[in-house]
Amino acid sequence: MTNPIANIQRSVADFRQMDKADKKRYITDLVFNNALYILLFVFVIYTAIQKPNFLSLGSFANLVIQVAAYLPMALGIAGCIVLTGTDLSAGRISGLTAAVAGVFLQKTDFVNKMFQNLPEVNGWWIAATLLTVVAIGAIIGLVNGFFVAKFSLHPFIVTLSTQLITYGIILWFFALNGNNGQPISGLSDEYKTFVNGEMFRLGNVAVPRYVLYSIILIGIMWFIWNKTTFGKNMFAVGSNAEAAKVSGVNVFWTTVLVHTLAGAAYGYTGFIEGARSGSVAPNTGLNTECDAIAACVIGGVSFVGGTGKISGIILGVVILRLIFVALTMLGVDSSSLYIIKGAIILCACALDMRKYLVKK
Amino acid sequence: MEDYNNNQIPEEEEVQKQEEQIPKFRGLYRYVNISVKQLDMIIGLCILVIIIVVAIELMDPGFTVSFNSLGGTDVAPQEQMYGDLIEEPIPPTREGYTFTGWYRDSACFVPWDVEKDTVETDTTLYAGWEKIE
Repeated sequence: MTNPIANIQRSVADFRQMDKADKKRYITDLVFNNALYILLFVFVIYTAIQKPNFLSLGSFANLVIQVAAYLPMALGIAGCIVLTGTDLSAGRISGLTAAVAGVFLQKTDFVNKMFQNLPEVNGWWIAATLLTVVAIGAIIGLVNGFFVAKFSLHPFIVTLSTQLITYGIILWFFALNGNNGQPISGLSDEYKTFVNGEMFRLGNVAVPRYVLYSIILIGIMWFIWNKTTFGKNMFAVGSNAEAAKVSGVNVFWTTVLVHTLAGAAYGYTGFIEGARSGSVAPNTGLNTECDAIAACVIGGVSFVGGTGKISGIILGVVILRLIFVALTMLGVDSSSLYIIKGAIILCACALDMRKYLVKK
Repeated sequence: MEDYNNNQIPEEEEVQKQEEQIPKFRGLYRYVNISVKQLDMIIGLCILVIIIVVAIELMDPGFTVSFNSLGGTDVAPQEQMYGDLIEEPIPPTREGYTFTGWYRDSACFVPWDVEKDTVETDTTLYAGWEKIE
């Protein structure tokens, strides 16, 4: 029904009819509202000129793989942002679950195995471990959600404290059985294959299995967000908790469940991250929540609450990863990437508010 | 229209007052009071910071691969671009030990394959040692 070319023609015709001041405002709005996209475009063009390799199939596969790795956490955190909150404990929760998954799935004959009496690694044991780490994530998420919902504490405060508490537990965990804070390695081949096993190759780059799992996860989250009462309640509570309460939504349980679901997503992220990096250190997962929050805000999951789409989150993660892949290929080192990430988060929030103000 | 002291106040002013009391945003931005112009300045500033940081980095692109010989003789760090193989350095030596290769972690579990593994970010490699019996 909506013909894109006709749409463009209409906007051009509208633009011609405007007077000078309106034209100027229209262009400023256009430039500022799309500032991040313009910046991305410039980076991509520059990288493509400097490194022709950037436009290869392998580089595309690399982008898909990175998106698949960073997406689950963003999908989890997005729910908290829809409720006008956030979650700062995400990175540490995934770090803890990565460590637990790593220890459960070490090689049976590994010399430095932390627990000697674990059963042999097979399909059932991997499934049991996956369920365990998802449950651990969900329990920490439940604690977050309970304090947020019961006492109306701001999620910033609650999740900041669970972040630190979780880190303490991680350090305890790494000191168990005389491990003395050493990284957990010697992960079993079954675990590595289950996560990292090659599905097919795209231009010299092996596409691992977790890309498929991420696609399944997108499907599950899309269903929860769009097709269930819980999802609809989540958006209702996010846009106006009082109104939702009056219309019969159980605000307490919705809030608790959103955080629990988020926790489960971080648990899964940890399970993938353990096998992906090959060994788990106490600092695994540090600061990854910043990437996830930035991706959500870029993708239109606004801090005003009650807005956001799964497709937006995917787009946000893709844009953020594309920027980082381009910058890494250009040789920008990881310490500067932190400065850029910080600027992007602030910029994305400002853009978010700007769209809201201009619409009014 | 009357205010608390029963004085007449113009209607327009009343409307304006009410408008000021309505918050511009919901949610986390509820207490934010900002104009479009100020937002444009913030956006511009952020973009500028990003461009400056990238420009500074592009003057000296590349990643540093440093070698921690863990008690052996020192090995000079290398500057490499993304996707490059490292140049195999002259193996360090240590009294009473034989060198077993370079590893990604200080515990020497995950080896670095000099012929296959490529540089992806700033990296530190650790020397593996085996005690001579």
